[in-house]
Amino acid sequence: MSGPIQISNRLGKFHSNWIWLVTGIFIWLISIFLTDQINPYYLNIILYSGINIILAVSLNLVNGFTGQFSMGHAGFMSVGAYASAFITTYFQAHHVDLFSNPLIGQSIFVGSLILGGLVSCAAGYLVGLPSLRLKGDYLAIVTLGFGEIIRVIFLNVDAVGGSRGMPGIPPLSNFGWIFSFVVLTVFVVERLIKSPQGRSFLSVREDEIAAEAMGVNITGAKVRAFVIGAFFAGVAGGLFAHQLQFINPVTFDFNRSFEIIIMVVLGGMGSISGSIVAAVFLTTLREALRPLQEITQVDLRMIIYSFLLIVLMLTRPNGLFGTKEIFDFLPGKKK
Amino acid sequence: MNVLCVKKMGIQFGGLKAVTDFCLDLPEGVIYGLIGPNGAGKTTIFNMLTGVYKPTTGAIEAFGNLVTGLAPCKITHYGMARTFQNIRLFKDLTVLDNLKVAIDQDPNFPRVSIFHSIFKTAKFIENENEKNRRGYELLKIFGLEDKQQNLARNLPYGAQRRLEIARAMATGAKILLLDEPAAGMNTKETVDLMSTIRMVKSKLGITTLLIEHDMKLVMGICERITVLDYGVTIAEGTPSEIQQNPRVIEAYLGKSATTH
Ligand SMILES: Nc1ncnc2c1ncn2[C@@H]1O[C@H](COP(=O)(O)OP(=O)(O)OP(=O)(O)O)[C@@H](O)[C@H]1O
Ligand SMILES: [Mg+2]
Repeated sequence: MSGPIQISNRLGKFHSNWIWLVTGIFIWLISIFLTDQINPYYLNIILYSGINIILAVSLNLVNGFTGQFSMGHAGFMSVGAYASAFITTYFQAHHVDLFSNPLIGQSIFVGSLILGGLVSCAAGYLVGLPSLRLKGDYLAIVTLGFGEIIRVIFLNVDAVGGSRGMPGIPPLSNFGWIFSFVVLTVFVVERLIKSPQGRSFLSVREDEIAAEAMGVNITGAKVRAFVIGAFFAGVAGGLFAHQLQFINPVTFDFNRSFEIIIMVVLGGMGSISGSIVAAVFLTTLREALRPLQEITQVDLRMIIYSFLLIVLMLTRPNGLFGTKEIFDFLPGKKK
Repeated sequence: MNVLCVKKMGIQFGGLKAVTDFCLDLPEGVIYGLIGPNGAGKTTIFNMLTGVYKPTTGAIEAFGNLVTGLAPCKITHYGMARTFQNIRLFKDLTVLDNLKVAIDQDPNFPRVSIFHSIFKTAKFIENENEKNRRGYELLKIFGLEDKQQNLARNLPYGAQRRLEIARAMATGAKILLLDEPAAGMNTKETVDLMSTIRMVKSKLGITTLLIEHDMKLVMGICERITVLDYGVTIAEGTPSEIQQNPRVIEAYLGKSATTH
């Protein structure tokens, strides 16, 4: 390799953005076939896998790429879930006729998702600005605390059902929307980490003192990563709420945060494809274990999760893929 | 013109006066040495100049701007960047990306917004390629251009030291603060480093303030030297003046006087 590296945004005659758009359109084509053909039980697993991919990839931006160990992802998910569910149930209760037009119904839904994401962003900013000055364990504890505070708040707000939760959320989530947002999440995170903004995230992970000495505003970089991560967690929460059609505060307790962290760690901190593989694997595993759990009456899932993690830490301490992507393992891409 | 003026700068850690009344005037393009026995306060001075520590007394002016107590990233934007005594590279990034983190902060390069980054617009691509060229140019100065795609952690020790200097330059800084740049280098690497430092001075007008224990390097390239002992400046002058100064010889006696 000699001479400066020169990159391009073209693939043959096309701008590389088209690939992503085509993938997005392809999702809807699959959705037309899939939704009627497939066993609803399997479809459900696929849909939750998709939601978990969004959660894992967005958490990876914070924990893996920026190196800030956040344990409050379920908190941001719940903010988005409650916000968007509140909006759609409001419209359903007061303007139910709007939903008879699918176009308007879907617009309300997507609007509520985005708004849920933005509310979650705001929460991320509020939590992030003071707490991201903390390091390592301290940040982990503060974000864990945030998750619990949010949960307790929802527990006590009667407008969203308190401990009873919110039932009757319209079933607006579907394969098309969930996986469109999966594509959007992966697209944004993948593009981001190869940009000046993303490089500042990586530099913070690598060495904060050096990053700051090179002119990087490290608090700014951390808050930015945190807020973007919170946005997608919020959107995932909205998708989740309209899939399950019922949410309550317990759904978003710290166990959920741990589950997402496990996906990120298992896949590899700093590997997008690792997060995707781990999210699909763990979601499927959890469902596969359900019958076993009913027979034995013990929560085998947590035992198996921890067993998996121990094995992984012993054999691949950096997670399945480390910081590499799946393409790096393909033959012919060796350097 | 003096690019850096330090007036009576001092810092106290609890009861310990680590540095007292440190003064320094760096004319543009000078190569200036800061020496002294272990624990004299040299690194502490760098930490104050770059904003890692806030001095308890005194003032720092870089290019006529008062930068005392500013955040490290702001001071870098004013054109002063450093290396570290114990190397601090971004180990799991490539050699080129190490530089690009710094080039991203160079005020001479246009910033691209997050929108351009995500949609890989023509502006973004142009900006990246410009930065790749700039990075390559810097790597060439330090003889690292063949390693641009390697991970920084895989470089040999001497090359890591050079990369750190290149990274400091990549910020666009015109004042470089080098904390023991030749530590751990062999004789040939040290000689090469000396000529590189001279070259960036003459070709690019870079001003260098360096801390070094290698007396051959210090006496060989520094035009002026300040000697520090227990946080106090005990001598200031040209290399030959310093070598004959009795206070300097005394400070070094029993420590490193035996080595030269
Ligand atoms: N953060 C701190 N808190 C307390 N004391 C400190 C701190 N930083 C430095 N010191 C003290 O200040 C003094 C000067 O340390 P400094 O690292 O500047 O020495 P130095 O001249 O760079 O030495 P060396 O040649 O060994 O690198 C030492 O006594 C050190 O213990
Ligand atoms: Mg030192």
